Amino acid sequence: MEKEKISELRGLMKTRLNRPMRYYLDLCTRCGLCYDTCHVYQGIPKKEYSPVGRSEVVRRLFKKHFRLSGRLFPYWGDAAALDDAVMDDVYEAAFSCTGCRRCMVHCPFGIDIPHILSMAKLMLIGNGTAPEELVMLADMAVEKGESVEVFRDGFKENIRNLEKDVQQRLGLASSEGLIPMEKKGANILYVGLSGAHSIVHPAVIFNRAGENWTLSFFEGVNFGAFAGDPVKMDLIAKRIINEATELGVKEVVMVECGTAYRILKFLTGEHPFRVSSIVEVIHRYISEGKIKVRGGAISEPLTYHDPCQLGRNGGIFDEPREILAILALDYREMSPTREYNWCCGGGGGLVALDNEQFRIKSGKIKKDQIAATGAKIVVSACENCITQLGTIQTGYGLDVQVRSLTELVSENLDI
Amino acid sequence: MADDIKVDVTMDLKGMKCPMPVVKVSQQIKKMAVNQVLVAETTDPGAQADFPSWARSSGNEIIKTETEGGVSKFYIKKLK
Ligand code: SF4
Ligand code: SF4
Repeated sequence: MEKEKISELRGLMKTRLNRPMRYYLDLCTRCGLCYDTCHVYQGIPKKEYSPVGRSEVVRRLFKKHFRLSGRLFPYWGDAAALDDAVMDDVYEAAFSCTGCRRCMVHCPFGIDIPHILSMAKLMLIGNGTAPEELVMLADMAVEKGESVEVFRDGFKENIRNLEKDVQQRLGLASSEGLIPMEKKGANILYVGLSGAHSIVHPAVIFNRAGENWTLSFFEGVNFGAFAGDPVKMDLIAKRIINEATELGVKEVVMVECGTAYRILKFLTGEHPFRVSSIVEVIHRYISEGKIKVRGGAISEPLTYHDPCQLGRNGGIFDEPREILAILALDYREMSPTREYNWCCGGGGGLVALDNEQFRIKSGKIKKDQIAATGAKIVVSACENCITQLGTIQTGYGLDVQVRSLTELVSENLDI
Repeated sequence: MADDIKVDVTMDLKGMKCPMPVVKVSQQIKKMAVNQVLVAETTDPGAQADFPSWARSSGNEIIKTETEGGVSKFYIKKLK
């Protein structure tokens, strides 16, 4: 590796060396309590797939490049210098982690391994070796924010087509205005994904609740965050923040996407609107009597998978369970559950990478967990999780259906 | 007209979950030669925003778009 590149990467490391980062890097005693708390390690029991195995890759570089002891006596502290082989380890550490933070709840010091790995991701961007799929998707999303005029009419035309689907599901005479767009002063700006299902089902629910809402031009998911690029993450989030501010909405409601929710709610500062997940909104409508779901509509045994970014990292545990308690006759909890739930292995943008075999292996503990409940339906509330649960289901031939919570509610509305 | 365009690869991306349509097209176009044409068929309403933005940011060109019965077809020419 050339001297200039080493200096550039060292410079990038320095930009991430804030207090929490130094605290985490200095404080890890390598006690190993987190070792087997990672679903990846459970499926592929190698040191490099343990949480501390991942953070060590970064800590050794920190030691070598920012600590005198590491510079003078590299072998004492296991310090490592930047070179191409180390950057391969940095890649493996960063992009085998889903950012689930299950390790963090088991660490006596609460060390945030994904925070440490944010430094690794930034170095990979500087090195030009970040996953090209994630970089491409982030670039596409940034470009989208700059070229609404190019796709405005085509997108709206497609939405008009979806309105007919919503009309049919609601049994109405007309489809007009069932998916409003660019509606100033609406209460809610709903942010979906690219797929029709992410728009049609929420639209059915909003219409049923008599909500004053409008649909965003953009998708909720943030590939800048997955790639570990803070500049692109901000640009992508700002598309939605600006749209919501210009329309003057009171609330932005995020599609079933844990990362989209967490970024807008917790990682982009204060907003002049409230940020909610669609799960919270459905729960609110049911509590306020604005919608009714058919009690006991599902008789097959059913379980719920907490998306890490909604549950452990977002605090939404009770709402989905209370919704499912109405819908399902035979609800079965996974074990462990809630903040200790196992990650499915689909987060961190990993489902967009060409790594199906890796994801099947790292999903083994989740497969075991679902199988142990005896459930025939596994419900979740995150598109990433639903994709990965589908991969686990086919990979292991698991006899379960994977369903989205919003879809289940929309299909079982008491109309 | 679509009939005048020589299509080299057609991809059926209907019903795929986010973000796979764009990922699959991006992977496929890398295997193709410059000036070859790929047709992406999708039912995603968001594809109307995704594909033009992807083409602009990746240096490819959408030479034609057709939409019929909820299915959009993007004719993408590899430029580099
Ligand atoms: S549990 Fe915490 S302190 Fe112990 S090795 Fe893991 S990250 Fe380090
Ligand atoms: S955040 Fe999750 S995937 Fe990453 S090291 Fe910790 S347990 Fe493993």
